[in-house]
Amino acid sequence: MYGTGLLKGLGVTFKEMFKPKVTTKYPDEPFEFPNRVRGIQKLYPDKCIVCNQCAIICPTQCITLKGKPHPDPEKKGKVLEYFDINFEICILCDFCTEVCPTEAIVMTTNFELATYSRDALNKDMQWLDANDTNVRELNLPWRQTSSSS
Amino acid sequence: MIRTEEMLLNVGPQHPSTHGVFRVIVKIDGETIVEATPVIGYLHRGTEKLAEDLTYTQIIPYTDRMDYLSAMIGNYALVHAVETLMGLEIPERAEYLRVIAMELNRIASHLVWFGTYLLDIGALTPFLYAFREREKILRLFAELSGARLTYSYMRIGGVKWDVPDDGWLGRVRRFIDDFKGALEEFHTLVTGNEIVQARLKGVGKYDQETAIAYGLTGVNLRSTGVAYDVRKAKPYSIYDRFDFEVPVRTEGDLWARYLLRMAELEQSRRIVEQAVAQFPSGGEIMAKLPKLIRPPAGEVYTSVESPRGELGVYILSEGKPQPYRIHFRRPSFVNLQLLPKLLVGENIANMIAILGSIDIVLGEVDA
Amino acid sequence: MRDWLYEPLSAERFGWMVLSILILLGVLLFLVTYAIYVQRKLLGWMQSRVGPNRVGPYGLLQTIADVLKLLTKESFVPTHADRPLYLLAPIVAFAPAFVVFAVIPLTDRIAFTDIGIGLLFYIGVASLSTLGVIMGGWASNNKWSLIGAMRAAAMMISYEIPLVLAALGVVMLAGSINLVDIVEAQRGVWNVVPQFVGFVIFLIAALAELNRTPFDLTEAESELIAGYQVEYSGFRFAIFMLGEYVYLFAMGALIAILYFGGWLPPHPALDFIPGIVWLVVKTLFFAYLPFWLQATFPRVRIDQLMTFSWKVLMPLALVNIAFTSLVKTIAGGVS
Repeated sequence: MYGTGLLKGLGVTFKEMFKPKVTTKYPDEPFEFPNRVRGIQKLYPDKCIVCNQCAIICPTQCITLKGKPHPDPEKKGKVLEYFDINFEICILCDFCTEVCPTEAIVMTTNFELATYSRDALNKDMQWLDANDTNVRELNLPWRQTSSSS
Repeated sequence: MIRTEEMLLNVGPQHPSTHGVFRVIVKIDGETIVEATPVIGYLHRGTEKLAEDLTYTQIIPYTDRMDYLSAMIGNYALVHAVETLMGLEIPERAEYLRVIAMELNRIASHLVWFGTYLLDIGALTPFLYAFREREKILRLFAELSGARLTYSYMRIGGVKWDVPDDGWLGRVRRFIDDFKGALEEFHTLVTGNEIVQARLKGVGKYDQETAIAYGLTGVNLRSTGVAYDVRKAKPYSIYDRFDFEVPVRTEGDLWARYLLRMAELEQSRRIVEQAVAQFPSGGEIMAKLPKLIRPPAGEVYTSVESPRGELGVYILSEGKPQPYRIHFRRPSFVNLQLLPKLLVGENIANMIAILGSIDIVLGEVDA
Repeated sequence: MRDWLYEPLSAERFGWMVLSILILLGVLLFLVTYAIYVQRKLLGWMQSRVGPNRVGPYGLLQTIADVLKLLTKESFVPTHADRPLYLLAPIVAFAPAFVVFAVIPLTDRIAFTDIGIGLLFYIGVASLSTLGVIMGGWASNNKWSLIGAMRAAAMMISYEIPLVLAALGVVMLAGSINLVDIVEAQRGVWNVVPQFVGFVIFLIAALAELNRTPFDLTEAESELIAGYQVEYSGFRFAIFMLGEYVYLFAMGALIAILYFGGWLPPHPALDFIPGIVWLVVKTLFFAYLPFWLQATFPRVRIDQLMTFSWKVLMPLALVNIAFTSLVKTIAGGVS
């Protein structure tokens, strides 16, 4: 009969009223992301060997870095002078952590980047070093799988 | 004597039902459309030109942002073209992961279409039910690839991540089983609704010749009786291992397209079900590759079935790490060309319904 | 209360009248505020959400916050709007929704006015709010609001007719267009039983009159953005909304009175509960029913809407009248 579809539809919405709700309580409660989620990068300045691979692979050229000779003249290699990520254009594609040979730059699952000014989105070495919560455990999956399997 | 005048009405780019920044200038006589001129390009980023300066791997995030509702399939279209050019053999485990990801993404994409389409014709609730289901898929994707929308999951030669070892496949399995019930709920709430049927049946009709002449693909073509699905017509990946159907209807109206997309939800569900069951227990997820990907000189065109139609990638390589020229055949862009023809003679309410049924993603139209 | 309406006016009595009008206004504003809250909660629950929960405990102050926001916004008039009409439209749309409450009897004892032509007054005044909608749509000088206003004109006029014709069946049964008499005539059995077809027609037409889903074509968010309200903001928009919701309660009360026995309990045994409680319960049910429909149905198309009114509801209402008069004549002849 014409109209039964309408009544069945009313039944669906009526039943839904008594089912548990699916919304989360963010921001009252933090939203838990899975560990693989790509958030804001964490940088270990000591591990960096200034190989520039992250800056080269970055599709948006948001990483600028420069090295200086090691302060201890006994040691070879370079250390970081500055390392900036411009989060205005960073697309969190994960390529920088993928190419890093020493895992100096890794992902965290932190995602709250909102600021009041655009300049504040240009994060420097100190800020990235201090961003050390929720660091992703596994950053180079291929290396991991080839050794484990 | 009453003097009547036609009126120019600017629909969009800020309009709730243009699904992004799309604009149509319609000339209306009362509520009847006399002429419609679509204006596109508000979201143009020059992906194809940008890609000429990027290595093949670097292009992957750009494909996420074309059809952002089915980024997995966009990823795959690109890596598949490069792999074909290089003649790569892909590990089986990676292929299964790709198929599971792509078909889940197709479900997610069709769910967005379903929700927003019902919103277009005035029903509020199916949108939230559809997003409730989609959220589960996005959660699975976040666990697998680390992102909810712009996955960048596929790499040339395989996939980035293996299956999470905390029972991810079991959760996919559970979702796939539960989704049956959700689909039934959608059908009870929407498909059986007489108002929906009255709104969709017989509206926005075109015939097979028009569809082929305009180069439509996907559901827009299959609603006119052509059983063309790239997964069957030019099988790629491991789709030949799965038992699924290509739903076809002959009416060519909004109702046919609605039913086809709902049927595709069920078919994609079946593919994921089989892929999870057949999933290989071990193996690599990446093929052996040189560090710098440098395909041989030559050209290649491959296409995949995206939720919106045939998504083709053409690459002209000079043997360098960057392509000399890359072109994306974006189904949304091609399908949209029929719009001005379809709109003439319809009223404003039908305009929204017709635009919605073409199922465009503006990121893909403008690229 | 009815009695002193007929006594000569004195200063004291006038004061009481003003006071009771203010009380009614306050009650209505309170009802509307929480109607919006309940609507959003119900819609939320039906859509597996929790609804408003940020302002106050359980979000109870949400609507108040919204109203305050609207009231403190800039009072904006578009440059090319027809200024006098633009300013007048919200009032014209709002006032009738309020005035109709005057004739709705709350019980057989409590009524603000008890005029003989209650139903006629209600329908006559209520249709005036269409004028406000058309004025607002025209004066905004916006193409979307113009289309919305034209839809409103076409729709409200064509649904007024089945609405009145359906109500005629009730009038014939009661033999009066006084709302108190109509309720009293339902002492034996509620009108919804003998007049079921009329009730369904009345309900559908009332939904269209109220611009509720599936007949919310004048606003039609996804088509016309917001229809006639596109250019309205701040407290003028608030007044439009207020009118719409007050009208919702007025219509709920009218349905309760015409078809569900007003303040009469479903069974004489339940007489100990005061009549006004029954009326409020019934009114709230019919005022909230549209929200349930809103959560479930899509919108119909304008041409389908007109066809449905003129080709289905109208003939059905006429058949209903003919049948009612036939039954009444035969029954009258027998007794």
